[in-house]
Formats: sequence, structure tokens, C-alpha cells
Amino acid sequence: MEPWVVALSMIGVYLVMTLLLGVVANRRLEVNLEDFLLCGRRAGFFVLYLTMVATYHSAFAFLGSSGFFYTHGIGFWVAGTWTLMAGAITYVLGPRIWALGKKFNYMTPADMLADYYESEPVRVVVAAVSVVFTILYIQVQAQGLGYIISAASGDRVSFEVATAVLLIVAATYLMAGGLRAVYWTDVLQGVWMYVAVWAGAIYLSYELFGGPLQLLDAVREQRPDLMTIPGPRDFFTYPMWFGMMIALSFGVVLQPHILIRYYTAVDARTLKWLGATIPIFLLTLFIPTAFVGLGGALAMPGIAIPDRIFPELLFAYAPAWLTGLILAGATAAAMSTLDSILHANSAVLTRDIYQRYVRPDADVGHYVTVSRVFIVGFLVIGYILSVYTFEYLVILVTLSGAGALQLLPAVLGVTFPARIRLTATGVLAGIGVGLAVLFLTLVVWPHPLTLHGGVWALLANGLIALLVSPLSQAPSAATVNRIHGAIEELVYGAGE
Amino acid sequence: MSLTTGDQSRYREFRSHYLPRTAKGRGAVLLYIGAFAFAEWPLLPLANRIEPTVLGFPFLFAYLSVVYAAKLAVLIYAARQQL
Repeated sequence: MEPWVVALSMIGVYLVMTLLLGVVANRRLEVNLEDFLLCGRRAGFFVLYLTMVATYHSAFAFLGSSGFFYTHGIGFWVAGTWTLMAGAITYVLGPRIWALGKKFNYMTPADMLADYYESEPVRVVVAAVSVVFTILYIQVQAQGLGYIISAASGDRVSFEVATAVLLIVAATYLMAGGLRAVYWTDVLQGVWMYVAVWAGAIYLSYELFGGPLQLLDAVREQRPDLMTIPGPRDFFTYPMWFGMMIALSFGVVLQPHILIRYYTAVDARTLKWLGATIPIFLLTLFIPTAFVGLGGALAMPGIAIPDRIFPELLFAYAPAWLTGLILAGATAAAMSTLDSILHANSAVLTRDIYQRYVRPDADVGHYVTVSRVFIVGFLVIGYILSVYTFEYLVILVTLSGAGALQLLPAVLGVTFPARIRLTATGVLAGIGVGLAVLFLTLVVWPHPLTLHGGVWALLANGLIALLVSPLSQAPSAATVNRIHGAIEELVYGAGE
Repeated sequence: MSLTTGDQSRYREFRSHYLPRTAKGRGAVLLYIGAFAFAEWPLLPLANRIEPTVLGFPFLFAYLSVVYAAKLAVLIYAARQQL
């Protein structure tokens, strides 16, 4: 049998398994919005762990990180700093957001922020920022899926067809089973991607160099410029290192598909353990991709699209069944993030816009249907955007994360009681200025002084929020006391 | 319009949540920040070299791995103590 047929068959088996999980999840679905959007707030540690890591790690973890190691060398091990920071943020913020969601029935980030700041403009702006910047993420995942399948088929299946098929599969099981389907498929996807990337990297390092240590020896001798920072193209300067850590930790965690997961936990203790342990999975996934990228720089130098180094090496040096298994893992990495974003964006539009402003009094089944319609809409938008190609997936992810990062002052204002109280006007002004600075420092004058543009934008955002808040109308004492009182009780009071 | 500076008396006084209130909490935060500093400028440049290798890994990679393990240990300690 032709190797590409074997590879595509393995991916096909994986896709059928995800659809079956979607069908089973559909049978467990209760017709209420909390069950469809939040899995009934009953997610335990095991499922939440795998859905968090599978969602956090996307196409770029599999393809983009290998491409980065390939191009810029070992500096991409900076990924450790942002995965650990993501764990710390989850540890600190997660239980607070969970507690507020459970107590006040929040379902989206905008629910929480609009309630505290007593502002409908805050609701709309937060919903808009959440959706606009995660659309970029849909694009990233869709492009990753297109790369994987077109590479697996030896370009017999076009990028456009491959992207369409995988988007439709993801949307189908999502519409069938809601967030429960996403969680169950994420368990499969998380395990599959982890096993696949390690298996592929170990196999290739033995096949090409005689083992991982021999691989490292060869890189040290032939390409020492890949073994320190800033790397051969001076990318990983110290300010860039710091900026990527901020943008890809806070920026990713503040995206709606991650924040919504905090609402779904069964209790606060689960979220603390989640924060303490997810870096283990997130971090160690980059060890095998380092082997792939660094080894690829020696074995296959000068390829046109560095993000394709992993599939290219597999097709050149690995047996077809292993290639299929691993590329199905890469597909899992992309789909597990894609389905979560489709779900989160549909939740935001259904809850924050449609239910609030269009049909406030419809029955629950109607909202579930509307949510499914939004999923189809985002699927179409994601597909159209995926036609545009970019060289580095990780750059797109950084841009996406930097946008969501602008919600940080507003979120901290709610979840961390402090003497300085932020106001609706303050956070709106901060977000506005932050987005303007983000445009300037990512597009017009990229990364001034080599510090990531997202950090410049966050600094401007926070400063404006702090300056404007004392001059504007504060949230009422009743609201502040209610919400900060709940936080105080969770952290220092009787607990949940 | 009621400004922030006006209607203060009805607000409950919450102590800031930015500073941990227990000794164990303060210790965990300090340890995490300390480990964090080792992976950033100006300490990181001191480890930015290939030799000596550690189990075949370049020094920078091995150094960062140790720092990451330390951060992870702090998080797990905090979770065990439910800080």
C-alpha cells in the first residue's frame, strides 16, 4: 500500500473516533445552556487536565515549535517560561474565576466583567476583543490542519480541501455534543498528541543520528549557533524572550476558550492542582520538538517552510504507519484547540450578544440552536481566513495572544481586591489605548527596543486604566462588596 | 455623577490580595519569583553557553530545565499546602 494512503488512513481512523465521541456526548446532553456551554460545571481533574493541555497546545506546538527550533535554535526553550507562567496564572486566577462563576452564574468572561463594572459597553467590548483575536487562532489551527493533511497526502489532497474536511469534522462533533464532546475528544487528542510527538522525535533521532544525545553532539559540532540565544537570526533577544513569556502565558490564558474552562471545574481545589501540574505536560512536549527541529536543521537544511520540518522528516525517514500515527497526533493538536475556540466564540456571541440584546426571553433550546448556528458561521470565517498563508504559525499565535492580553487589567480589577478600584471607563480607555499601541508596536514599528509589542500595549493599557479610573464613576459599593466579598471568602474565608 | 473619590464609606475595606497574608504564602511567592529571575535577564546571560554539557545537553538547556523544575516544585508545594 502506498505510504500516503496508510498515513491518511490513520488520520481517518482518528477522525472517526472523534465523531463517535461526539455522538456519545450528544446522548448525554441535557437541553440547557449550562450543560451545552459549560459541561454542567462538573469537570473533574482528569478530564479538565487533558482538555486544558490539549487546548493550550495547538498546531504551533507540534509544527510551529519544531519550525522555530529549526530556524532559531534552542532559544525556543523559552517556551518553558510561558508554560510555567500559564500554570501559575491558572493556580492564582482559576479558583477566583471559578468561584465567581459558580456563585453568580457567569458563563463567559464578559458576564463577569460586565457585572462587576456595571457596564454594558464593557460586555460588548470584551466580547468583541475575545472573538476578534481568537478568530486569528481559528486561522492558525485551520492552516495547521491544511499543512498536515496536504503533507500526509504528498500534496494529493489540496490544502483547501483538507482544511474544509477537518473543520467540518470538528464542528460536527461540537454541535452534536457541546462542550462535553470537546472535553471527551480532548482527552483522546491530548494523549494521542503527546505519545505521537515523543514517538516521532525518538524514532527520527535514532534513525538519523543514532539517538538524541548523538543528535545533540552533531548539532553542537555543525551548528553551534543553534545552541545559544539569540540564535542565528538574532530573534531571541532578552527583551523578546521576556515579551513572549508574557504574551503567550497571560495572553493565551485570557482567551475565552481557556477562561471558560475555569467555570467548568467541579471545585477550586481541582483548579489549583491543575495550575500546579499542567506545566509538566505543556513543557515536556517541547523536548521532542527540539530534537525534531535541531535534527532537521542538519538533516534537511534550507526547506522553504520551516513549520513543515516534522512531516517532511517523517515522510523521508519514517515508516508509513508511524507517519500516519504521528500526523494524526498533529491533527489532534490542531483540532483540540480549534473546537474549543469555535465553542468559546459561539458561547460568547450567544450569551453576551444574542441572549442579551436580540432575544432575551427565548427558551433554552433556542439558544442551543443559535449557538450551533454561530459555530457554523465561525467555521466558514475560519475557512476563508485559512486561505491566506503565513510563514510562521507561532507569530500568528503571538499576535492573537497579545490581543487577549489587553483584558488583563480588567480581569485583575475584578478578581484581586485592592485599594485602587478600576472603573468601566478606566478599563475601556485602557483596552482602547492598549489595542492602538498593539497595532503600532506589532505592525508600524514592530517590537520597539526588541521588547514584544504586546508588552508595550499592556503597559500603556494598565497605565491608562489606572489614570482614568479615579476620574470616573466607580462600580457601586453593593457590587464591589458582593463580588470582592465572594473572592475574600474563597481565598481567606471559610472556603467553598 | 458619583466619582470614585466620592462614595467611599459604604465600601467594605478588603485588604489587598496582591500580597500574601500567610508566611507560607509569602515564602512560595518569593521562591517562585526567585526562580523566575534565574530564567530572565540579567541572570540568564550568565548561563547562555554550550559548555559544559550536562548529559549531552548544552548548558543553557540544562540550566533552564533546572530552573523550570524549581518553579514546578514551588507550584506543587503551594497546591499541597492549598496556599
